Amino acid sequence: MELVLDTVRKTFGGVVAVDDVSAVMPQDRVTALIGPNGAGKTTLFNAITGFDPPDRGSISFGDQRIDGLPPWRVAELGLIRTFQTPVGFTTLTVRESLLAAATPHFAETPLGALGLSRKARDHERASGDRAEEISAELGMADLLDVRTDELSAGDRKLLEFARSLMAEPKMLLLDEPAAAVAPANIGRLSQLVRRLCDERGLGSLIIDHNLSFLMQIADEVHVLDRGALLASGPPAEIAANPDVMRVYLGEDGAKDSEA
Amino acid sequence: MTNPIFWVGVLTLAAIYASLAMALNVESGWGGMWDLGIAGLLAAGSYCYVILTADPDLGMRFAPGLSMWVAWPLSALFTGLVAFAIGAPALRLRREYFLITTLAFAEIIRQLVVIQADLTRGTLGVPNINRPFDSFVTGRDYNYVLLGIAVAAAAVMYLVTRQIGISPFGRTLRAARDNEAVALALGKRVNRMRIKTFVLAGVLIGATAPVYLFYIRAVSPQLFAPGITFTVWTALVIGGLGSIRGGLAGAFVLIVFTEAVGLIEVDPSHINILVAIEPFMVGLLLVLVLRFRPDGLFSERSAFGAGNRPAGRSAGDSRPAGAAQGSGG
Repeated sequence: MELVLDTVRKTFGGVVAVDDVSAVMPQDRVTALIGPNGAGKTTLFNAITGFDPPDRGSISFGDQRIDGLPPWRVAELGLIRTFQTPVGFTTLTVRESLLAAATPHFAETPLGALGLSRKARDHERASGDRAEEISAELGMADLLDVRTDELSAGDRKLLEFARSLMAEPKMLLLDEPAAAVAPANIGRLSQLVRRLCDERGLGSLIIDHNLSFLMQIADEVHVLDRGALLASGPPAEIAANPDVMRVYLGEDGAKDSEA
Repeated sequence: MTNPIFWVGVLTLAAIYASLAMALNVESGWGGMWDLGIAGLLAAGSYCYVILTADPDLGMRFAPGLSMWVAWPLSALFTGLVAFAIGAPALRLRREYFLITTLAFAEIIRQLVVIQADLTRGTLGVPNINRPFDSFVTGRDYNYVLLGIAVAAAAVMYLVTRQIGISPFGRTLRAARDNEAVALALGKRVNRMRIKTFVLAGVLIGATAPVYLFYIRAVSPQLFAPGITFTVWTALVIGGLGSIRGGLAGAFVLIVFTEAVGLIEVDPSHINILVAIEPFMVGLLLVLVLRFRPDGLFSERSAFGAGNRPAGRSAGDSRPAGAAQGSGG
């Protein structure tokens, strides 16, 4: 199964934010999307996940057209995204946030709440176990009962990631997962992304500014520049591409090495 | 101090407001839908009950004269339908736009009651509402029966809303209130869930309406002026918006306080000053609670058991340890 973009275009007023982008992203691989600020990466994310549908072109996941679907429907099909600024469910604890991500629709009705069915209770218990597993894997087991708005920015990033895993994704769309995460945890994060892909066939599409992080874990890299696809290929090939050096590393290199 | 029957009445009224505040909390506290249309939903439930049970001799165009035990659940369902009719369009709006729309709908319902006089007797109102068990217990003793009914209704409301609050449904409601985008990104059908919640609150308010009528004994449109909505809101804010017990506690504090202010003995020539001072005292109570307990008597935080950050885990792990110390906590 793969995520396929076919001449996807998105404009805001007269500005072309995404300019006829076509790409194929296998569901079981790690794909990186890089480009300078304003290149259209997040706009493309929003177009894929239904938050801001494209003006033109088609997006499909497997054999299902997903452009024009509402965000919750795209998520139901297994494309789970994270957000660049990890605000999260501010007043919920980490545990509640993780459980909320895993709650099935049948438990989310008033009647379901009143006569909690056996099925819902079993699901809730299983989710509780998974929440503990996933939080332990991400080194945040001691934060389970802390409210989201009291987490550090780095821990909120990890929570975004953990929450996405709870939603039983078929493919992850990670918007700057390594930003604001402590260097020690970045190592853990990249190992996990890689392992999820290699062992469980759960691939990701990742936007980030931390190139060393991306180059380590990506199977394929797409470079966006001013809305258009500039280059695609394996990390080594992209790193050696003179065009990429010019638009990306040349202009923004100094800033990115800081991140 | 004063006779006990007076306080029985006060507690009855407090229990009724407590039921309404707890119902409001489901949609506004957890659902994040700031509803200013309580009076309208209460009017819908009340008039449904009154019309279904009214004495045919009163000359209302439609008076099936149903038993109150049939009319009671029907009123709850009818109010749910009205809530759906209001919620489906209004929930396309957010926050203050939603709030003003619900206020407008409530006024529309009240005006409809006035205009449809052949159905509702308009401003004349309907006297002598049927009350349960009033053939067995008469006179002043009935006040105790009424208190029992109101307290039982509040207890049921507490159990129902508490179950909703602690259920996965309540959790998803709070999640979508905190961050709609993230809820959508996790596959939550936020709008559909909000409409269901709005209808649920309507059913709960409609189920409370007959109890309110048993207490008031006669119904007329001016009962459903926006004032009642603001009293319910004040009770909920004092008790703690988003908590489980807040509506219950806030209503008792507010109603007992308000009635107690009315008892202050003054020279008859100053009675108008006392009447004027009542809303002022309610305002003062609200300000004091918000000043010293901004989350209300019971907070949402205490209701859902968030612990403290474990010691040794620094806030801001992307920053140097020294900087994190300064801003941590």
